[in-house]
Amino acid sequence: MTLLIGCLVLLVVAVVLLGLFQDLLYSALGLAVASIMLSIVLFQFGANIAAVFELSVCAGLITVLFVSTVSLTKDSDQKGESRLPARFLLPMLVVFAGVAFGGVTWLASHVAAAPAAAPHTFQDVFWGQRSSDVLGQIAIILAGVLGMLAVLRVKLQGGHHD
Amino acid sequence: MTEAVVGITFTGLLVFMIGVYLLFAYRNLLRLVLGVEVLAKGVTLILLAAGLHRGMVPLIQSLIVTFIIVETILAAILLSIIVISQRTNGSLDVRVLSRLRG
Repeated sequence: MTLLIGCLVLLVVAVVLLGLFQDLLYSALGLAVASIMLSIVLFQFGANIAAVFELSVCAGLITVLFVSTVSLTKDSDQKGESRLPARFLLPMLVVFAGVAFGGVTWLASHVAAAPAAAPHTFQDVFWGQRSSDVLGQIAIILAGVLGMLAVLRVKLQGGHHD
Repeated sequence: MTEAVVGITFTGLLVFMIGVYLLFAYRNLLRLVLGVEVLAKGVTLILLAAGLHRGMVPLIQSLIVTFIIVETILAAILLSIIVISQRTNGSLDVRVLSRLRG
């Protein structure tokens, strides 16, 4: 329980610091730390495969993509970017915590006790009951690849015009 | 609801609201992507809490894996669009995107 509380607190701290940092590289590191804490929480409750996905994809791949994008766009303007001053985040955090506490209290009083679920393994669920999700994932990955190709094609055409 | 489910739900809601704040607070496109990612972290936590409460961790694990794939593709597409937008407009300000025409 102590490890769970520590991970959740660190996750919130990383997310808050992510919003307060002026340097986008530090913000990317904050996002990676939040992903690592989330993967530890997932691992604690037996969601091992989801934890590995979170750790490798979110903490690894997305951070690399983000840092690459920051380095590709480093010459652009990063000043005066905030619509609300960053100092508002900490007072708003108290408001958010109050709203979240109210939501959890409401859920605890309105959500019925859980029935005993039949034991399944991840493989049974993923490949048996949720096989349509696999098709959806393949379609999304193909759509992502086609989207990247479309964007790169626009970029190449723009380069020829230049 | 057990104490763990309450704690995870509370943190998930809190992180989700921080993500919404980040979306409203900044005009920089890269920071908006960070806000979307923070939102995704909150949603993952709330999904985990739902699975723990119902005792369906394998089912919710498969949903989380699907969600992570969607989140990753979304981030990759958004970041590539941001690079192209910055090359085209010379700015990362989200208001510059309003100049786009059909």
